[in-house]
Amino acid sequence: MPNNPVSATAVRSPQHWRHLFAGDGAELALRVALIVLIGSALALASDAFLSTANVLNVLRQASLIFLLAAGLTLVILCGGFDLSVAANLTLSACLAAGVIKSGLSPWLGIATALACGTAAGALNGLAVTLLRLPPFLATYAMLWILQGLAFHYMGGQEIFGFPPAFRALGTGFAFGVPVPVYLMAVVLFVATVFVRSTNVGQEIYAIGANPEAARLSGIPMRRRQMLVYMLSGLMSGIAAVVFLARVNAADSGMGEPLLLPAIAAVLIGGTSLFGGVGSVLGTVLGAIILALVINGMNLLDIRAQWQPLVVGVVLLVAVMVDLVARGRRERIG
Amino acid sequence: MNSRHRMALHGLALVVAASGAALAADPASAAGERLAAFYKNQVDPHFALVRAGVEAAAKEMGAGPVTHYAPTRPNNLAEQLSEIEDVTVKKPDAILFMAVDPRGVVPAIEKVNAAGIPLVNYNDRVRGGKFVSYVAADDFNLGLDAGRYLLKALGGKGNVVILEGVKGSTTSDDRVRGFHKALEENPGVKLLASQPANYQRLQALQVMENLIQSNSSIDGVMAAADVMAFGAIEALEAAGKKATMVVGIGGVPESIEAIKAGRLLATAEFNGYKMGCLATMAALRSLRKETVPDTIVIKGIVIDKTTTGPFEVPAEKRTCPKWEDYAK
Repeated sequence: MPNNPVSATAVRSPQHWRHLFAGDGAELALRVALIVLIGSALALASDAFLSTANVLNVLRQASLIFLLAAGLTLVILCGGFDLSVAANLTLSACLAAGVIKSGLSPWLGIATALACGTAAGALNGLAVTLLRLPPFLATYAMLWILQGLAFHYMGGQEIFGFPPAFRALGTGFAFGVPVPVYLMAVVLFVATVFVRSTNVGQEIYAIGANPEAARLSGIPMRRRQMLVYMLSGLMSGIAAVVFLARVNAADSGMGEPLLLPAIAAVLIGGTSLFGGVGSVLGTVLGAIILALVINGMNLLDIRAQWQPLVVGVVLLVAVMVDLVARGRRERIG
Repeated sequence: MNSRHRMALHGLALVVAASGAALAADPASAAGERLAAFYKNQVDPHFALVRAGVEAAAKEMGAGPVTHYAPTRPNNLAEQLSEIEDVTVKKPDAILFMAVDPRGVVPAIEKVNAAGIPLVNYNDRVRGGKFVSYVAADDFNLGLDAGRYLLKALGGKGNVVILEGVKGSTTSDDRVRGFHKALEENPGVKLLASQPANYQRLQALQVMENLIQSNSSIDGVMAAADVMAFGAIEALEAAGKKATMVVGIGGVPESIEAIKAGRLLATAEFNGYKMGCLATMAALRSLRKETVPDTIVIKGIVIDKTTTGPFEVPAEKRTCPKWEDYAK
């Protein structure tokens, strides 16, 4: 029956997407294996590595990158891109710092960061859906706009010294586990349930996998795209709060070094740049691999000039292992 | 009027016109020189102090407005290179320059040399090109002094770690050499690790968190810049290790506050304000055909609880040092 919209039914059918996730299991297992491999090597080389404190330490360090990368994952799954996540973090953190430092409630500061992040995300969404700009360019422009506003607001200065209650969000512990690690777990859980088990989440995959089919099947493309950019902005705002609470200071360059690691975490996590394939769980593993490499080099006191090289090699290996595994699976069919 | 007279008159007119043009074109003979000042970034308060010093000295000496250039992405070489090219086209009377990369900027600087615009090098040394003068802190001695101060406070024994800045920059490499020299003088102190944190607060915090895991007892931290010292302090305080003493290099407002609060033991003075003043003075003096030494070293003190006074003065209320005290 050539007139039957088979593709549209397939896009909407949950079974079809479950099938895609079945493939995910192997991909994720591979990343866990890589983490175990790096971990075992480090455990052999350094007694300190496997201590509970150090494991929590690595998770805490991965959490900041993950919070930023989680939103980005949704955007990329939906076939878009968001280059503005780090600049958004910078502006959100600077504004929040200004609010808290002016003596207003830290809650208002947190609200400022989340509002700024989400608003910038909404502007990205409008640029992509309404103006139909390519996501890469739209969010690149937004990167500069947000960075420029941060420069203007800070005027080359820092804002530092926040109340202990606020700082607990970044430095505190609950039942022996750092607060940012709980945040990471909550975001991971909510985002995974959202993309796996809700219709909206599956529509995001569908748009990324095949926009034309998604449109024909009646998925409200623009609304979904708006949503992912706003969620990405919101995550930048959340990451801004954690960052601010963790380092106890804001400056207009704070976010910039996080942009490439955030993108790297998403890609190492197995999310395809072309959309429709990947998972938030993969991004967590990607962030952990990044944190693990730096942690290991610090524990082993590897000299400064070798560190970039080691990071590069580990990333290459991670991507190659992934490609080899993917190729084999495709050959097997 | 015979032809000879006419020629003489023409000649005179030419001379007058030429000298008039020369007067108008020669910046050395008139105040209001246009300066262009470069910075490594616009996020570090140190450079805000340098800028304030540049502005103060330019105003004091009656120079024209100064234009300021800093990469939008901190310490970005590509951006700084295009800024140099843009500025060369605008032909300011002189350029104050600090490099984000000591060697990478050399070809661009040679083009500025070829264009005949005089340059003063400040803050970070450029490894090539021609400069009227080099105005900088003595980074090796800053490291040595800060290191000595810490090791003395430790009583010449204990375990320390070093936090390095960006590999390859004179500020980081020379300061770290100074730290090592101080360690050589104190054989009772053990260096546990020397790790890079690239002048970033978050990176310093995380490196310190990691080092705390692999070393149960860290008595002291030497950071090549205050911003990394602050990151280390946050990590140490979060781990309940408030007894660990931290020294840095800098002296921005945050440093002074941290020293007064007893969080930062001391910092070696890396005085951006003075550097901005003296580099500007050197450039203007050179344009006005006055003598300028080829190197001006700004010595710093170790700022501790007893000496924070002069550094609490906000930039806009500071005054430039006397030229004679530095030009020898």
